[in-house]
Amino acid sequence: MNRTVNVVRLQLVNKMTYIWIPLIILVGAWVLTLAIYAMLSGNGAPGPFYGGGSQAPLWYFLVVGIQALTFTFPFSQAMSITRREFYLGTLLTAALTAAILSTVFLLGGFVETATRGYGMNGYFFRIDALWAAGWWVAWLAYFAIAMLMFVIGFWAATIYKRWGTIAITVVLVGLGLLLVAAMWLTGRLDAWAEVFAWFGAQGALGLTLWGVLLTALLAGTSYLTLRHAVP
Amino acid sequence: MTDVIEVQGLTKRYRDIIAVDDVSFTIEKDTIYGLLGRNGAGKTTVMSILTAQNFASSGDIRIFGEKPYENARVLSRMCFVRESQKYPDDAKPVHAFRSARLFFPHWDEAFAQRLISDFQLPQNRRIKKLSRGQLSAVGVIIGLASRAEITFFDEPYLGLDAVARQIFYDRLLEDYSEHPRTVILSSHLIDEVANLIERVLVIDRGRILLDETTDAVRDRACTIVGDADAVDRFISGREVIHRESLGRTTSVTVLGRLGADDRARLAALGLDAAPVSLQQLIVRLTQHAAFDTPDVHATIEEVVR
Repeated sequence: MNRTVNVVRLQLVNKMTYIWIPLIILVGAWVLTLAIYAMLSGNGAPGPFYGGGSQAPLWYFLVVGIQALTFTFPFSQAMSITRREFYLGTLLTAALTAAILSTVFLLGGFVETATRGYGMNGYFFRIDALWAAGWWVAWLAYFAIAMLMFVIGFWAATIYKRWGTIAITVVLVGLGLLLVAAMWLTGRLDAWAEVFAWFGAQGALGLTLWGVLLTALLAGTSYLTLRHAVP
Repeated sequence: MTDVIEVQGLTKRYRDIIAVDDVSFTIEKDTIYGLLGRNGAGKTTVMSILTAQNFASSGDIRIFGEKPYENARVLSRMCFVRESQKYPDDAKPVHAFRSARLFFPHWDEAFAQRLISDFQLPQNRRIKKLSRGQLSAVGVIIGLASRAEITFFDEPYLGLDAVARQIFYDRLLEDYSEHPRTVILSSHLIDEVANLIERVLVIDRGRILLDETTDAVRDRACTIVGDADAVDRFISGREVIHRESLGRTTSVTVLGRLGADDRARLAALGLDAAPVSLQQLIVRLTQHAAFDTPDVHATIEEVVR
């Protein structure tokens, strides 16, 4: 257990990857978004304004997931760490940083609510669809998205590490084909209305929990792949 | 003596090659081993499998009596310094050492600091910007200061200059005498490490060729130098592994140790016996094993020349 916690410290040795870069992306996206809102507001547009800028640090978790494996796994082996300790410690690191990011989003959301969108009716952190069911659902949704992104990156990187470039390319293309096939089938069955209705019925919390399930599935697969990966 | 590593019938097959071929050996506690062999002989593969970084195709490995795979109890007592070790992207040497302190229970920070100044290693430069020698120094420092009960050094000196290599050998020997442990050092610079290693394991094309104490290996052969006819008379009936001639003077390396009567005969014939360097001996033995028929010795001599 102690060694697993030490893996968190090992991962966080690289403060650039886990702290500074996400912070720069977050602050950068926030400043850019507010500048655009200010221009719109200055021209007399009443809002409300919404932008996709807050997605940026969440996408970055994809990169963090990849780097956590490709850069740190070989070094963890040199530190005589078992694959299990590395895996658990790395996921713990991701959970910690995702929790911090979600908390920042939550606090930002409260500020935006209190100031009515910085006094110009513009929202960066607060997404009504997520906040409708309560602030804790919003927090959970942000957390789940960040974790899902991280695990997707980590999952892809384990496949690359174990079986090489061709394997990961084939897997990703294969998944793309499956997705297209599913879309084709949905259209063929004329079922798009039902699909959208299903998504609508799940609500923010339901979709978040589905995301958690997908995350768990990918994380489990990553572990099985990592167990026989060679640094 | 207690064995800290026991290997039985270890085989590692890749798609089209056999990297390690049914190898069995044991490693004694508190001994410095030289794991010697040519490039691609299987040294790194063996060390990777022993540290559970790689996987055997078949065979049984016991480290401190246990299987090492996913075994934190065993792994934490070992340290494997690779020649091509990768570090986290933005890491600096200071980060690598800080991490090593977290995971190696016997880490000695003062010793690490001393080594850092010995090797004049810039601690706050990114590892990917370090020179090849400085990169090797990072690994060497981790391997020495971790003071693991079993430490593997896989050609740790790449890019290190002669002075830095000597520092490595000196510090290893000093620290080993104060804190005995098992060290397995793979090296191409056989003569440089000859005075360091107590036992020699020679691996060639995936098989163990030699597993003996360094002293016993040294006694295995000697070089006879002198007048060609006299040399020929002395060596008849002995196994010759190398021959060189310059004018009337011939130098022949023969297997087998010299007894008292052999020495008397040498004196009578006016010949000199010289010890063979460990490197020469291992080179010759490896070549000898490669062409183990008498008629190709001539070819070997040509190659050696």
